[in-house]
Amino acid sequence: MNEMRPFLDCDAVMRQLWDYLDGELTAERTEAIREHLALCSRCFPQLEFERAFLETLGRTRRRHANCDVLRARVVAALRVDGFAA
Amino acid sequence: MTELSDREKREKDLRFRDEALRWLPDVARYALSLTRGEPNAEDLVQETFLRAYRAWDTFAPGTECRGWLFTICRRAFLRTQTRERRQVACDDAELEALAAAALHASAQQSGYGELFAGVDLADAVDRALADLPDEFRDAVILVDVQDQSYLAAAAVLGVPVGTVRSRLFRGRRLLQETLLVHARDAGLVGGASDTSAGTELST
Repeated sequence: MNEMRPFLDCDAVMRQLWDYLDGELTAERTEAIREHLALCSRCFPQLEFERAFLETLGRTRRRHANCDVLRARVVAALRVDGFAA
Repeated sequence: MTELSDREKREKDLRFRDEALRWLPDVARYALSLTRGEPNAEDLVQETFLRAYRAWDTFAPGTECRGWLFTICRRAFLRTQTRERRQVACDDAELEALAAAALHASAQQSGYGELFAGVDLADAVDRALADLPDEFRDAVILVDVQDQSYLAAAAVLGVPVGTVRSRLFRGRRLLQETLLVHARDAGLVGGASDTSAGTELST
C-alpha cells in the first residue's frame, strides 16, 4: 500500500514533539512524525533529549513509594467516619 | 436518604478500599507537590480520602478513580489557601516547544546535550519542581509525574485541554532551563566532549 502522508518539515515536528512523546496525537500524525524522526539527523537528537528529560521527571514518581504509615493514618481516620473494610 | 443495609455498607467499603485506597501513594505524591511540605501533605491526603469516602456514592463505577481523587485533593487544597493563586501569562504551546528546541541546541553547544540521560538529577528535579510557578507545576506534576493525559489533567485542574498543554510545555521548558543552569553551576558534564560549561544558556 502506498499511502500519502502529509509532508512534515523539522519545524512542524519540533512544534509537536512533546505531543508525540506524550501520545497525544492522532495515529496518522504520530506515524508521520515517527517517519520524519527516523530519517532526520537534526531532529533525532532533540527527540532523545526530550525523552530522557521526561524519563527523569517520571522517575520522581517512583522515588516516593513507601506510604504504609500514611495509609494506616488515613484508614484510622476513615474508621472514625464509619469505614469498616 | 435511605440507610444502607449492613451488606450494602460492607460492599461499599470494600469497593472504596479496592478502587480508591489503592491510589493512596499517587494521591500522597500529588498532595506533596501541592503543599510543598510533607506534614501538610499528610493532612491533605487524609482530608482527600475522607471527602472521597463521604462522596463515594457519587463516584461512577468504571470511571477513572485516580483522576477523581486528584480533583478532590486539589479542591481541598485550594480551600485551605488564603493566598492568591498567581496568574501567569501563558504563551502559545507550540512556541514553547520551539523554545525548547532552541534550548536543546544551546545545551548541546555547552556540552549538556545528554545531560538527562547521563546524570542523576533527582534532588535538583525536586527543587526545580518546587520552585515552578503553581500553574505550570500543576500541569507538570499531573502529566509528567502522575502520568495523566492532557484531558484528565484538564478535568482535575478545571481548565481547557489547550491551557494544560500551554502550561505543561512552559513548565517543562522552565524546568529544563533550571536543570541546565544547575548542571553548569555544579560542574556536571552531560556526556558530550565539549567542556565549555560556562557558555551562556538561552533563556
